[in-house]
Amino acid sequence: MKRHPQLWLLAAIILAAVLSASARPAGVNPYYLGVAVDVGINVILAVSLNLINGHTGQFSLGHAGFMAVGAYVASSITLGLAARFGGPALTPLLFAGSLLAGGLAAALAGLAVGVPSLRLRGDYLAIVTLGFGEIIRVILQTTDAVGAASGLKGIPKFTSFGWAWALAALTVYVVACLVNSTYGRGFIAVHDDEVAARSMGINTTRYKVTAFVIGAFFAGLAGGLYAHHKQFISPGGFDFNKSIEIVVMVILGGMGRTAGVIAAAIVLTLLPEVLRPVAEYRMILYALLILGLMLARPQGLFTWERRTGAKPGPQPT
Amino acid sequence: MKPPRLQLDSVTIRFGGLTAVSEVSLIVGDRELAGLIGPNGAGKTTLFNLVTAVYQPTEGTIRLGGEPTDRLEPHQLTARGVARTFQNIRLFPSLSVLDNVRVAARLHCPHGLRQSLWRGAAFRAAEAAVEKESLELLNIFDLARYRDEPAKSLPYGNQRRLEIVRALATRPRLLLLDEPAAGMNPTEKVALTQLIREIRDRFQLAVLLVEHDMQLVMDLCERIHVLDHGVKIAEGSPTEIRSNPQVIEAYLGPDHAL
Repeated sequence: MKRHPQLWLLAAIILAAVLSASARPAGVNPYYLGVAVDVGINVILAVSLNLINGHTGQFSLGHAGFMAVGAYVASSITLGLAARFGGPALTPLLFAGSLLAGGLAAALAGLAVGVPSLRLRGDYLAIVTLGFGEIIRVILQTTDAVGAASGLKGIPKFTSFGWAWALAALTVYVVACLVNSTYGRGFIAVHDDEVAARSMGINTTRYKVTAFVIGAFFAGLAGGLYAHHKQFISPGGFDFNKSIEIVVMVILGGMGRTAGVIAAAIVLTLLPEVLRPVAEYRMILYALLILGLMLARPQGLFTWERRTGAKPGPQPT
Repeated sequence: MKPPRLQLDSVTIRFGGLTAVSEVSLIVGDRELAGLIGPNGAGKTTLFNLVTAVYQPTEGTIRLGGEPTDRLEPHQLTARGVARTFQNIRLFPSLSVLDNVRVAARLHCPHGLRQSLWRGAAFRAAEAAVEKESLELLNIFDLARYRDEPAKSLPYGNQRRLEIVRALATRPRLLLLDEPAAGMNPTEKVALTQLIREIRDRFQLAVLLVEHDMQLVMDLCERIHVLDHGVKIAEGSPTEIRSNPQVIEAYLGPDHAL
């Protein structure tokens, strides 16, 4: 595993593709497949946000905004091109291209937001990224070309279980490989102590922007997958609540713990589905369960040894 | 003649109306053990922050090996061969002992983002080299056996030493130590004195240290600079400083001046 993580990524992608291709013929309930796609998308969102909020220690509340950029760019491309080059043979290529374009557009947005705002820390950064998310939503809501408040309809259903899980595997691979290298340990150094990191030769601004751009890229991919899964997107779906939902996954999973964050993303996606039988009490129970988990395991769902709570505060140097 | 490792020319820094450091000039030669002393609030740590580019001087120039350092960011300065430790220990608490050192080795690690993701043979070779160098450094300081423990779990004295190891991993030519003996017992202080001398000899670097423990400064340093209220009041060998009336006055008050 340590020597050749690429092989594991390849294996995971092939497995996702094979499972996905054989699921429908095998007669698996489409509802389950739909939930599985949701799980994959949320894993991408949570693991990529974990790079920013967990490993690098910056508090972003704008992940839904980057997701929206990816979703709208990717669906605009497929909607525009699918009518013209609608051949089934080209579909995977077209889809991959539009996802990539969505991811890159989100990364660009991440760069544009990140460069000026990453001088800020903690609460201040959270407020700026929150503002960014809202700006994106309002722009989309008032742009007629993308359907304004009523959103985009009739997006082709390209996202399958295989796409979602293969890209989730890719996200996990990228984030895990980054933080487990001499280069990537810089992210954790920035999280732990910026002053010390700088004096060890780490370009902290650059690391923060990099984390932001990579996180935004994967949020954009997730947005594209989401759009081609639900086949309908509207600005309301990418509001502040969506960002908070992803932040909760990261906190519950344990900031900076990739395995825990994956688990939390899975649990928090399945929980509302499992609670469907109790209908109107569903969201109350969901909230209570999160409260309970937070009280029982404040250090994260799957964090066994306790991470130090005492971060070195601002000190005269 | 070769330019000195560190040279300050009438360096001044003002914070609003407060002049924290005023027209300080000093020279630290290659492989010199230099000390910076002075009463509390004399501007010692501010001077350190000036040398490491945390602050920019209001007036005056700082030169490293003859080259001015103005407009450099702290991380660029580290790349030019200046490393430091902190008065209040600033290790990376969520990283292991080994990883604390490996972070600093990043500066000399050839690969970046792309190679970290691709993980080819060159990447693995570079990672192995970084690990080897880091472990060698830890070995010198007898810390290698704690390699996988969280840095924050080490006893205080070892944390101080780990901070020095981490600084050395950036391969500095000038090492700045901010109160390295703070909180150490007398035995540890003697060992530290020995250790700093060994570091200088082994790594061929210059050391500038701020320290309150006079015994240690007098034993260790070849040249001592004395600050008081942001002004340099004396400079010389330990013997000269010990008998300098101005220094005694700064430390003990005018009544004790001889």
